[in-house]
Amino acid sequence: MKSPQRFLSENASGQAFNRRSFLGGTSLGASAIASNMTILNMLKSPALAEELKRQEKRVILLWLAGGPSQLETWDPKPGRPTGGPFRSIQTCLPGVQISELLPAMSQRLQNTAIIRSLNTKIADHGGGATLMHLGRRDEPNVKYPDLGAVIARELGRANSTVPDYVTFYTATEGRSNALGQAGFLGARYMPMFLTTDSKPENLSRRETISDVDHRDRAELQKLLSERFGRGRANATLASHNEAYSRVRGLMASEELFNIEQEPQAVRDKYGPSLFGQQALVARRLIEAGTPFVKVSRAWWDSHGQNFETHLELVAELDHVMSTLLDDLEERGLLEHTLVITLGEFGRTPSINPSLGRDHFASAWSTSLTGCGIKGGSVYGATDEDGNTVKDGEIGAAELFATIYKALGINPHKDYFVGSRPLPLTDPGTETVAEVLA
Amino acid sequence: MQRWVTGAEPAHFLCSPRLSRDAVALELMKTILSVTVSLFLVLPSFRATFADDLLPADQPIPTVIDHYIDLALVDTEVIPSAPATDANMARRLYLDLVGRIPSMAEAQSFVAAADDSKKQQLIDRLIVSPGFIRHQANEFDAMLMNGKGSIRDYLLTAFREHRRWDEMFRELILGESADVEQKGAIQFVRSRAQDLDKLTNETSVMFFGVNVSCAKCHDHPLVDAWTQNHFYGMKSFFSRTFDNGGLIGERDYGLVSFTTTAGESRQASMLFLNGTEVEEPAPKEPSDEEKKQESQRLEELKKNKQPPPPPEFSRRAQLVRVALESQSNNYFAKAIVNKTWNRFFGSGIVMPIDQMHPENEPSHPQLLEWLARDLINNGYDLTRLTRGILLSNAYARTSMWEGEQPPEPSLFAVALPRPLTPFQYATTLRFGSRSPETFASDLSVEDHEKRVEAVETSARGLATLFEQPYDAFQISVSEALLLSNGDRAENELLREDADSLVNKLKVLTDRHQIIETAIWSILSRPPTADEFSMFDQYLAARENQPIQRCQQIIWILLTSSENRFNY
Repeated sequence: MKSPQRFLSENASGQAFNRRSFLGGTSLGASAIASNMTILNMLKSPALAEELKRQEKRVILLWLAGGPSQLETWDPKPGRPTGGPFRSIQTCLPGVQISELLPAMSQRLQNTAIIRSLNTKIADHGGGATLMHLGRRDEPNVKYPDLGAVIARELGRANSTVPDYVTFYTATEGRSNALGQAGFLGARYMPMFLTTDSKPENLSRRETISDVDHRDRAELQKLLSERFGRGRANATLASHNEAYSRVRGLMASEELFNIEQEPQAVRDKYGPSLFGQQALVARRLIEAGTPFVKVSRAWWDSHGQNFETHLELVAELDHVMSTLLDDLEERGLLEHTLVITLGEFGRTPSINPSLGRDHFASAWSTSLTGCGIKGGSVYGATDEDGNTVKDGEIGAAELFATIYKALGINPHKDYFVGSRPLPLTDPGTETVAEVLA
Repeated sequence: MQRWVTGAEPAHFLCSPRLSRDAVALELMKTILSVTVSLFLVLPSFRATFADDLLPADQPIPTVIDHYIDLALVDTEVIPSAPATDANMARRLYLDLVGRIPSMAEAQSFVAAADDSKKQQLIDRLIVSPGFIRHQANEFDAMLMNGKGSIRDYLLTAFREHRRWDEMFRELILGESADVEQKGAIQFVRSRAQDLDKLTNETSVMFFGVNVSCAKCHDHPLVDAWTQNHFYGMKSFFSRTFDNGGLIGERDYGLVSFTTTAGESRQASMLFLNGTEVEEPAPKEPSDEEKKQESQRLEELKKNKQPPPPPEFSRRAQLVRVALESQSNNYFAKAIVNKTWNRFFGSGIVMPIDQMHPENEPSHPQLLEWLARDLINNGYDLTRLTRGILLSNAYARTSMWEGEQPPEPSLFAVALPRPLTPFQYATTLRFGSRSPETFASDLSVEDHEKRVEAVETSARGLATLFEQPYDAFQISVSEALLLSNGDRAENELLREDADSLVNKLKVLTDRHQIIETAIWSILSRPPTADEFSMFDQYLAARENQPIQRCQQIIWILLTSSENRFNY
């Protein structure tokens, strides 16, 4: 060790010792320089600059767990036997009507594409949720990554100091169906999964150790680990060092989860609901560079009292989603951020004796807003009662391919597991060009 | 250079200490090898798989391993890394054989011993210890159950009684629910009985090293010999298996049909991976009335927690029979040889380990062939195989590569750092955070064992928080956050318990002694001069926090990469 003060926590006068100055000669200093050089070099090359631009793209998934009704949201059938009690309202798009439960959204469709022609076939919660997380059916011996893991891998930065995949799922109903799955991409891309409140686990320093000690012990551990890594080129070993090197940065990102940092006016706009507050955290994370945030709202599974349930939940969705879109747009983030509403399936057009609607995967809807999307478009159509798709039928694979394409990711790229190529979407899957900008 | 020139067998001379890497040395080595190889009168071609071409069956396992590994090294002109240091070797052997790091006393006594055969003595001592049985049970539990339940009690009994691997296979596939002990084994089937595709594929992966799931929807894209017939042929062995209220039954009727990619509907027959078709008495499809009676009987049995009656003709029993027949048992034997090799080297002779098919050549085909033959000839004795591998020079190399580009892992020229399994890591963390006096050398063997077992038991909770390593494993940031900030990490590893390392270190006034004790206790080796200096500065700057500084040093060592891997 060249500098005897290397691990002094404080110098004699009590001021924090400037550790960066003597880190200059160590590998940490060298790697900091190297990463700056990388960015400079990337800017010189058009292909790499494109790559860098792509990496600014973000996704917020509003996961509507349990299966929202398309008839009470994006594809109303007023006046039909299947239509239910709610009316439809004219939107800002000529000739396009949606449920009256979405008044705010009806005036904000200029950046949104509505897709009304999903036929995903799987109508049980577990199977449907898996399908709509992976974009494909599960296989017995290949663990596929879910949408968030793919986006984290494709759009996140390896050395990011913010989390690159965050999931909020506070309710217990359906939570186990919506667990993150990094699959063959590896644990690096597992979500930070928040269940109990809006702050992640193990992100705050324990009171038993001072910040300076916490930092210094991490630095000495890093130094030791780096020395151990010399002459041992190994990806798993490198992932250990990388995981620890992200700890302090992630701890600093704890404030991103604290909405008290936001002006009261902004918090008021999002409202007091947990869904609203988590949407605001999502916006803060996106702004700070997190590529994928999933905010879940449960439980839309309205086998009984479908209309009361939707009166409440759709109103909340309308408020939170419109506020989020406005906020993103005002900050210039919407252009780079794709906001998706999706559940595991829709609900039956027929209304059961308990005034409920049951599971239904043959003709339902989703919405895509913002990044890469042709705003003000409506794709596909169902028949007059909403029982079947009559135009533009797509499945989960096409939806996922479209999402990837909107974000500038090649939907047909291959990952390799051993010698086996695993395409991001199944071969032959087409994107929905009509909703892409 | 003198030392290795005198080596008489190819198995030994390549791994003598500190080889020079120049071309002259390489040429000299090749000359010597060609002479020694000719002593065996074997000039193997890599495609040969016939027993006649293999080294004689009576050669010791380590000699054979080093012979074949060294042949490929010479062929590719790669000089392997030096042998690991004694301290490194002790740590590796303890982790591999008993699933924990050595105590300070154990590590130091191994390093201090002057006996040339100390490595063999240590292996022979650990491999008969109760710790080996527990560690085997943990490792096989993780491998077989994938975290979906546990069959540890069954495995403990099986390993304690030195049960043959073919016997265990039979019990895992056919175990009788009525038998107290086999009831545990059959959980392998029961935990997968809801999903027969999964049961089919995972049985193939675990016992035959073959992932057949590719052939489910279409003929295997990489392996011409495997068609959908093979997947459904394998599935046929399980198609009549069902779970009746937690007890496994098998019917006497039922056929598997599937649709080919061409849209043709086909009926599958029992077909083992090597193409052996199994005949069966023509099944009699029961009438609707009979089926109704059957289901009533099953309901009744379920209520009384009685197992369903055994079938007259068991398809699962046919699988066990055909898999262990002499013309097909090389799938079964090679799969466990490859898995065992992968476990101790961090890379299999065939990679990936679930792709042991004709289009995926082993790196050392004859070695795999020889080891499989040895296993079959010696009663599927996994302990013998393990001991043989651990005694080889190939196993004993350092994981440090001095040259520029490290060689391909498939050459086994340098040891690979292997991430610890959840049990190994949790036990290592708990073990490393105990005071060395907990495991002092003057304890009786029984007391020492009792204390070790207590630490292992105390680590079981922590172990559930770590992930089982897989191919190209990555360590997650949540693990780093847990150990950096989790209350559990602090309470279980850094608390001032009576027998904790913190307690031991905090009363030491000599900083060198603190560093020496901590590094020996956790990393099982002496500190380097650099480490003395780095830790000394860290401690000196914190004279006013005598407890916390010790906790911090312990944390640094416990969470360091060196302690996360078996290197």
